[in-house]
Amino acid sequence: MIYALRHRTTYDYESRVTFARCVLRLTPRASATQTVMETLLEITPTPSRLFERLGPFGEMTTTVVIDTPHKSLIIEAHSRVDVHTPSGQLDFGAPWESIRARGLETVDLGCDGPASYLYPGVRTPIVPAITDYARLSFPAGRGVVQAASDLMRRIRHDFVYDPKATDVRTPPAEAFAVKRGVCQDFAHIMICGLRGLGLSARYVSGYLRTIPPAGQPRLEGADATHAWVSVWCGAERGWIGFDPTNDIVVQDDHIVLASGRDYSDVAPIDGIILAPGKQTLKVEVDVIPQEELRLLRPAFGAKVT
Amino acid sequence: MPPEAASPAVAPPSLDPAGAERLTAWLRDYRPIPGVPDELFDATGRPRPHWLHFLGELADYPAGQIRSRFNLATRHIRDTGVSYRIYGEENERSWPINPVPLILDQVEWAKIAAGVEQRARLMESVLGDIYGDGRLVAEGAIPAAAITGSPDFIRPLRGVPPPGGRYLQLYAADLARAPDGRWWVLGDRTQAPSGAGYELENRLVLSRAYPSLYNAMNVERLAPFFDALRKGLASAAERKDPRICLLTPGPFSETYFEQAHLARYLGFLLVEGDDLVVRDGLAYVRTIAGLKRADVLLRRVDADFVDPLELNSASQLGVPGLLEAIRGGGVSVLNLPGSGVLESKALLGFLPRLCRRLLGEELKMPNVATWWCGQPAERALVRSRGDLAIAPAFNGTQTSDPFSRPRLMSDLSAKERAEFLRRLDDRPGDFVGQEVVRLSTMPVLRDDTLAAAPFVLRVYAAATPDGGFQIMPGGFCRTSDLMDVRAISMGEGARTADVWVISDKPVERVSLLANQDEVKVRRLMGHLPSRAADNLFWLGRYLERAEATLRLVRSLCTSLMDSEAAVHTSGETLSKLEELLIDWGALDEDSLGVRALEAARAALHDDEASGSVVTLIRRARRTAASMRERLSADFWTLLLNLENGFNDPSLRLVSEADALQQVESTLQILAALSGLAQENMNRAAGWRFLDMGRRIERAINTCRFTRALAHADATTDDLDLLLDLVDSQITYRARYLVGLAMTPVRDMVMLDPFNPRSMAFQVFALRDHLAALPSLVDDGMMEPPSRVLRVLSTEIETALAVDIDADAVHRFEGSLLSLSTAIADRFFLQGANAVPTIKLVGLA
Repeated sequence: MIYALRHRTTYDYESRVTFARCVLRLTPRASATQTVMETLLEITPTPSRLFERLGPFGEMTTTVVIDTPHKSLIIEAHSRVDVHTPSGQLDFGAPWESIRARGLETVDLGCDGPASYLYPGVRTPIVPAITDYARLSFPAGRGVVQAASDLMRRIRHDFVYDPKATDVRTPPAEAFAVKRGVCQDFAHIMICGLRGLGLSARYVSGYLRTIPPAGQPRLEGADATHAWVSVWCGAERGWIGFDPTNDIVVQDDHIVLASGRDYSDVAPIDGIILAPGKQTLKVEVDVIPQEELRLLRPAFGAKVT
Repeated sequence: MPPEAASPAVAPPSLDPAGAERLTAWLRDYRPIPGVPDELFDATGRPRPHWLHFLGELADYPAGQIRSRFNLATRHIRDTGVSYRIYGEENERSWPINPVPLILDQVEWAKIAAGVEQRARLMESVLGDIYGDGRLVAEGAIPAAAITGSPDFIRPLRGVPPPGGRYLQLYAADLARAPDGRWWVLGDRTQAPSGAGYELENRLVLSRAYPSLYNAMNVERLAPFFDALRKGLASAAERKDPRICLLTPGPFSETYFEQAHLARYLGFLLVEGDDLVVRDGLAYVRTIAGLKRADVLLRRVDADFVDPLELNSASQLGVPGLLEAIRGGGVSVLNLPGSGVLESKALLGFLPRLCRRLLGEELKMPNVATWWCGQPAERALVRSRGDLAIAPAFNGTQTSDPFSRPRLMSDLSAKERAEFLRRLDDRPGDFVGQEVVRLSTMPVLRDDTLAAAPFVLRVYAAATPDGGFQIMPGGFCRTSDLMDVRAISMGEGARTADVWVISDKPVERVSLLANQDEVKVRRLMGHLPSRAADNLFWLGRYLERAEATLRLVRSLCTSLMDSEAAVHTSGETLSKLEELLIDWGALDEDSLGVRALEAARAALHDDEASGSVVTLIRRARRTAASMRERLSADFWTLLLNLENGFNDPSLRLVSEADALQQVESTLQILAALSGLAQENMNRAAGWRFLDMGRRIERAINTCRFTRALAHADATTDDLDLLLDLVDSQITYRARYLVGLAMTPVRDMVMLDPFNPRSMAFQVFALRDHLAALPSLVDDGMMEPPSRVLRVLSTEIETALAVDIDADAVHRFEGSLLSLSTAIADRFFLQGANAVPTIKLVGLA
């Protein structure tokens, strides 16, 4: 499935900003199941320095330095991505305890090995209550895929999607206690549970294909960024994505932007500015499947292709 | 250990009878623990000769002298030294110094030094692999998961060649002597080893307390080690004459004063994260003369906190973009962020094999037997043995967790044991099992009794320019007051001891004197960092404000005591003084009309009041404490005396005379402080900022006094009081025989350029200071502070005293306040031109 993506972030500042240094993680990551066909970053004002490199978790990062005085900063990322996850029914996977043992034995220190995603992190501490919650899905000898699917299903069932209940800084223990939150909270909770049992799990940021309600046109900028979990299921199976917000195993509807230990490793924009005043933030996202592109108003699609 | 290893052959000292008796008593009452090696007594129960030599000489001091010598030296060093903390006495350094050093002979020391040197090389080599091509992991020598659990595994620096060519500048190992007599490594310090500054302090105390003994015993000097440390850092720079900074987490850090002391001793700039900026791939210090390149950072901030942009984004201690600068080779940060990964206990068990593999050598000094539970066989062993200690495999785990510190398996309750085993099943990689180490003992002197105490020794290695390591002949030794010799019970230790390595030949007297030819003569210490300028300026202001408040209190007290000058007895003057004190924040508003003694008491001692003398003095001391490295020992001691005068609980002010006495003695110390600043401080920018703070505060205060007391309806009482407050009584009386009159008084306190207390005098002094400071503009325009000042000084120069009414004084005061803001904006970190750095809001 081929998608056209547009991700536009606008910062408006109360007073003039004389200097900004940002790390952007807005370029989709290429992998065996995802081909990145085109990417483009448009930044206004134009940065005085811009360099790209591969980040510590395999993500594409772009560092920009802006020293033109400005009162608004617009960062717009465009890309075209082909997602091609092999379809078919998943088996149950190897017993989860054996996967845990393999994770500790790995000789892969790289970002796609399991070793970096085994331990608690700043945003994903070990919370005994969450570990015990996860434990119910992991009876002895159960296949790791089956067990993780079960945990994902239970989170979808037991938690309420509620954007007002949490914000970007809410610790997982709090969201777990109120059983409410958004995709970020559910992903963090699932990761805490899996790591609490010694399994390797990573946080994935990206986009989800949305289907407009029947008979209605797609609204411009109405899509959103999304987050889910990827679980290491052994060297042969590799990483499998689980989306606890929607209770679906990740296939061609999910487009990966970046993955890391938790949200702080993949935040699309990290930055500091020299400025005394307030700032406001607006984000617009479009995720458009290729077959819909030609149906759209020319102005809307033209920008992307 | 075999007796023949105990070296230098020292003749037993000839003691006088009292000394001999004392030595006999010490040795008789000294009780080593059976089966535990002791430093004083060898395995056959005989005292080692170098210890006997030391204790003999010590016993020979006349009764009571050891303690008094030692206390005197300690107090002196403490007052001037590194141990003073900012936030209250309870936080003061927790370890008293043992009057007896740990004494090691050269044979013993050679083994320790060789072991630590090898280990430092090993650490450097392992880091080079982990952050380099990663063969140790790929080939199975270290499991990847034994590395990734450390918060100090800094992934963004994998594959980055370390600027300056190495990871470690300073390494330390914690050592203990095991029951077999060998030295064992308890743990490694590769992040940013602390304690070297404390050892410097301990050495100062002991060498001062027993100077002749120290010289007679041929104690190896510490200075060459620190010289090597400095040269090593300098060699990591690109430029020939590099600016080296010590990057500190700031005054809230537990070891801040050790860091400040080291910075001063080594001649480095002490900087916090927001003193630094990264531009175009280079790091710079913000100074009053603009951005100046920082070539090398000796890092005391934990790795995860050094760059909020790429690492922990919650960090307030770091420098955004620092990792980018490191990657580009624009700044050397040592130890390189990420070096701390080797502090993990998980790795200890792998080191003997790594040593063979990487260095082709056997490990010279063993480390505590350690089993990482991430491996099945090791886990099974830890589960099956009840005699082990268990500990977190990695630093930085949640501290509320009962298993976040080492525990003895045998100490766990049945419930805790079950909990531990479950945790071990869930997350085996989080734990290690360790052999329980037993420590040896050394003598400590308590109440003139010599007792055996368990100890741990930290030994330091500094990288030298040629790529080797030099070992500090000495170390940071901590002793426990408990007789439990299991290392795990040691905690942070109760006392520290100096460490003497005894040479068998006389040691060369060296200090940090560089080779004559290498030294470039310079008269100024480089550019003053903006933060230091800010602190000095405010120190000046606080001291001056304290002085003005004291003068108000003095007038308050004398008004009631001075029978001759019944002048001030009128309730009106009293209430004017109280109003001024209230205005100042030295008294609260309800105090108007209280008795003079009560008002004096509050204005002096009320630590709730923002403008009371005690509050101002404490602020002054805190401000000074955060730039301890810039103040002379005398200046600091006086500041402490100043504060001590207000901490004495026995001091009760029962009469105006008591209050007056305290005011007078405090004013004397303040006078001594300003005398010191005038006579002893280098006339560099630092002195100028201190003096500018003082001048601007004094000018503002003079305006305030004048407005309150020399207004249109002022009485002669008011004018008299004003002359008292600005200390111009004598000058006035000498100059004007006619008595008090409005215009000459106004002229004398406001406009007279010859009266060092007048506002005009302060303004002209400020003008000289600003003219001498660097300018950031090259377009011929005046900088804002100079512009404000030029207008003000011209007005003062041309004004006539008859025109100086309340409005004019008010206008002067306003200009002075704008001047203060303009100075802050131009020179200080928090000024308007140095806009705050803020984070972009998240979730895009």
